[in-house]
Parts: sequence; structure tokens; C-alpha cells
Amino acid sequence: MIRIDNLSFAYGGGEKKVLEEISLHIGEGDFLGIIGPSGAGKSTLAFAVNGVVPHHFNGDFYGRVTVDGLDSLEAGPEALARRVGSVLQDIESQLLASVVEDEILFGLENFSLPRAQIEERISYALAAAGISDLRARAISSLSGGQKQKVAIAAIMALRPKIMLLDEPTGELDPQSSLRVFETLSQLNRLHGVTIVVIEQKIMMLCEFAHRLAVMERGRLILEGPVEEVLLYPEKLEAAGVNIPRVATLAGKLRARGLYQGKTPLNIAQATAMMKEATKDAALG
Amino acid sequence: MSGLLDYVPGNTFLHRLHPLSKLIFSFGLCLACFLTQNHWLVLGVIVCSLLQAALAGMLKPALAVLRALSKLSLLLFLAQVFFVRQGQIVLSLPLDIYITDQGLSFSCLFVLRLIAVTLPLFIMLSITRMSDLTNALTRLGLPYKYAFALTTAMRFIPLFGKEMSEIMEAQTARGVEFDSKNFCKKLKLILPLCLPLLLSSVRRIENSAIAAELRGFNVRKKDSGYKRYVLGRGDAAVLGALVLILAAVGLEHFYG
Ligand SMILES: Nc1ncnc2c1ncn2[C@@H]1O[C@H](COP(=O)(O)OP(=O)(O)OP(=O)(O)O)[C@@H](O)[C@H]1O
Ligand SMILES: [Mg+2]
Repeated sequence: MIRIDNLSFAYGGGEKKVLEEISLHIGEGDFLGIIGPSGAGKSTLAFAVNGVVPHHFNGDFYGRVTVDGLDSLEAGPEALARRVGSVLQDIESQLLASVVEDEILFGLENFSLPRAQIEERISYALAAAGISDLRARAISSLSGGQKQKVAIAAIMALRPKIMLLDEPTGELDPQSSLRVFETLSQLNRLHGVTIVVIEQKIMMLCEFAHRLAVMERGRLILEGPVEEVLLYPEKLEAAGVNIPRVATLAGKLRARGLYQGKTPLNIAQATAMMKEATKDAALG
Repeated sequence: MSGLLDYVPGNTFLHRLHPLSKLIFSFGLCLACFLTQNHWLVLGVIVCSLLQAALAGMLKPALAVLRALSKLSLLLFLAQVFFVRQGQIVLSLPLDIYITDQGLSFSCLFVLRLIAVTLPLFIMLSITRMSDLTNALTRLGLPYKYAFALTTAMRFIPLFGKEMSEIMEAQTARGVEFDSKNFCKKLKLILPLCLPLLLSSVRRIENSAIAAELRGFNVRKKDSGYKRYVLGRGDAAVLGALVLILAAVGLEHFYG
């Protein structure tokens, strides 16, 4: 679905490469989580996928990005926008309307959706984001978390093949974050939507994402299925990623030869791991 | 909490008007204030605006604006009233300073006009959704892109204010005292904050442009608009009232 080959990028006027030789393939129906410290280039990588880099921000662009078969350099940002629905990191400035329902209508109007479908799309998106009751509210009167949900709903209404979200739960409480991820997961499972989400909450990614990509200083330092990436706790910690304690524990048990299985991602798996690790100890 | 220029949601008679009527009515009132020399007419527009605000359920923010404007007006009034030399002297002070009846009349009209022009625009912006305003402007022949840029720019004004107060709060927390009575001292404290504010504003505007592009702003077509606006009886009433007001101004102009 998305192929990034040897991508390097420096913002115009800047010497420093913000992205360095990144290669990443994201298959159709994948759920990829991107994690890494501040300034690692996560948002810039997202911009490379939705075409903002290099169409809006020019600079030195090397390599190739293809989205749904379209080369991002050749295809205009509009063609990409039809395929990739993006939620930007800064919530405040990406909301463009006065009232919640108008915000969702904006994209639908722009892409000239048939009139008959518009009402249904609006109610669907509001319900999916859990904000049906906010429909007629002024956006300026909403909390940060509510605004975040509006931005997500505005994208969901467009039903893109790919959804790209830059820290969509940054202002949300744990409960609402969980709901956002559940919604994304549902879109992914039921409708085959490819999800790419930049997220600092590693636990969310461990629970919902299929694959993890770890970025540090413009480079992709680890990439693969979640369990595999968690096999490298030292690398993750060096990149400033707070890995779950249970993954650290799994690493230590493996090092002592007490455990060979996958890194547990939930309580049940962790219990199974502990059973296996203590089996010999109990006998001995 | 709602800031200045934020949309005030509602479903009142005024909210439901055709956005074009709201636009024409508010600008028409401004025009009337500029054309007339009659204090009472200008005062009438102010009263009419406050009535509108009450009807739209936004009397409180309107009064807040009126209060702020009054303070500014007092300053402007004092700055003007001593400079008009023509007319009968009504108050004479030492050092060849005096106030004339013409000066008084001129300064009063100036200040009243300032208030009377601001209030209708403020109310119109508060009860019109940005998307409706954009659509109304395109009806007047402005290309959608420019209309959208204009309304979005308007939305940034309260955002700047919010950001400024956030920066000032952060500085206050670090021990900077902004409530200094000394104006020059205060200015000295605020000026250095303007550059970061400008930079973050540029970022935000850029971000808004990106967000619009990513949601198909550039592929919008002429007939992409979903909402249909119909002119109703309310619009006829409001526009009729405007015609009467302008007619009164015209009559006063020729016969007054
Ligand atoms: N518009 C821009 N022009 C120039 N440099 C930029 C621009 N945007 C970002 N940068 C620089 O690119 C680098 C990577 O920024 P980016 O926003 O991609 O990081 P990030 O991983 O998303 O960080 P965060 O977690 O803070 O969002 C930073 O050093 C930043 O200063
Ligand atoms: Mg970022």
C-alpha cells in the first residue's frame, strides 16, 4: 500500500537531514505504529506519505514514496489526499470551521460527495468518534480532547483507504485514547483500512498495532511485528522509548534461558510466560 | 468560555437568516453611520445593535465589547475635543486650551460612529458560521479560495489573543509582572514576546493551509457546496428595515 524506498529529506534552507535513508513497506490492511523521541522526524515522515513533503514543504528530497501505486512526486497532493486521510499533530489549527458538523462537511463538500450520501456520512463519523452529542457545538467551546475527536471524525467521514494520524491521543485521557484505538482497530479489521499512527503511548501500540517502527534522529532504527521489535529492549530504551515492564522482564528471562516464547502483550500472555519461566524452578 | 469573535451557537431568528442578509444588514448599518451627521441616528444604530444582540442571546459578550469600546472612546474623545478651534467656546481652560460646541459635537459623533460601526460587525461575525460567511462571500462574486482565506484569517484573530495570554501567563509564572501601571515598562515587557508569537502564528497558518489541502480544498468545484440557503420572510424584514434606515439617512441628508 505504501512503499518508502531510501527516503532522505532536508527542509528547504536547512542543512540537516531530517529523514535519512528510510525504507519502509506498509502492506494493505496493516496497522503500523511509529514511535520515537521528540524531533526524531516522525511528523516529517507522515508528511512524506501524504505528499505535504515535498509538495508543500520543499527541500532536498531523495528516494521514492509510492502510495497505492502512485509516486508521490508525480501524483499531485490532491490525488494523495483522496487515498490518505490525515490527522495533523497540531489540533487547534487544523480545525477550519465554526461548528462541529461544518468541520466534517468541509472535506465531504470539497471532494464533491453526492448530496444523498452526505448526511449519512456525517452521522456515521460523529457516531464512530463518539461525539454525536457535539454536532451543533461551536468548536471554540470544546476541550482539547473533544477537538481531537472532531479532527478524527472529519477524516473518518471521508472513508479513505489509508488513515495517517499524528499523535491523535496527545490530549486525550486514557479512556478516550482507548476508544480512539478501538475505533481505528475496528476500521482496520472490518473495512481493511490501512492505519499508520504516530503515538507516544507504547502500551496502546502494543495492544492494537501489528507492526512497530522506531525512529531516532531521522533514522528508522527498528521495524517489524510488535513482538519482534520488543525483543530489543536495550535499543528501544536507548532511543528513549519507555518499553512496557513486562517486555523488559521477558528480555531478562530470555537472556537466562528461562523463556523462549513471544513477548507477552497482555495479562494472559504474561501469566503464561511466568508459568513457563517458573516451571523448572518449581521442579527444582 | 467564549472569546471575542467566536461563533455563538443558536437557532434564533437572527441565526436563521440568510448569511448574505446578515452580511448586507451589518455593512448597511455601518454605511448608514458614515453617511449621517445626525447623532441620534448613530445612537439609534447602537441601540438597534444591542437589541439584535439580545435577540441572538449574546447580550453579555456584546456588552463586554461595548464596555471595552467605551474606554477606548473616552481616550479618543479627549484626544480630539481640544483640537477643534471653530465654533462657540463652551469651556475655557488656562494656556489657551478650550472646548467649542463644534468640537464637542464632532468628537461625540466620531466616538459614537466608532461604536456603531463595530457592534453590528461583531454581532454578525458571532452569529454566522464561517462556512456560511464564506459561501455568502462567494455569492458576492469573490472566488472561494479568497473567501475562505478571508474568513480563516478572521478566525486567527482570537487565536492570537489566546496565544498571547498563554505566553503572558507563562511569563507571569516565571515572575514577570505585567500589571505594572507604567505603560512604557509594560510595553518593554510585552514587545519581546511579539516575535515568538509571530513565529508560532506563521506556523499555525501554515498548518491550517496544509490541513485544508489535505482535505481536498484544491479540488473543490463551484457546485461543491452542500448547504442551500433560501431567502425567507425574516430576510425580507431585515433588508426592509435596512432600506428604511438608509432612506432616513438620505432624507436627513437633503432636508436636515
Ligand atoms: N517546517 C519545518 N521547517 C524546518 N524544519 C522543520 C520543520 N518542521 C520540522 N522541522 C525540523 O525537523 C526535525 C524533525 O521534526 P518532526 O516534527 O518531524 O519531529 P517529530 O518526531 O514529529 O517530533 P515531535 O514528537 O516533537 O512531534 C526537527 O528538528 C524540526 O526542528
Ligand atoms: Mg511530530
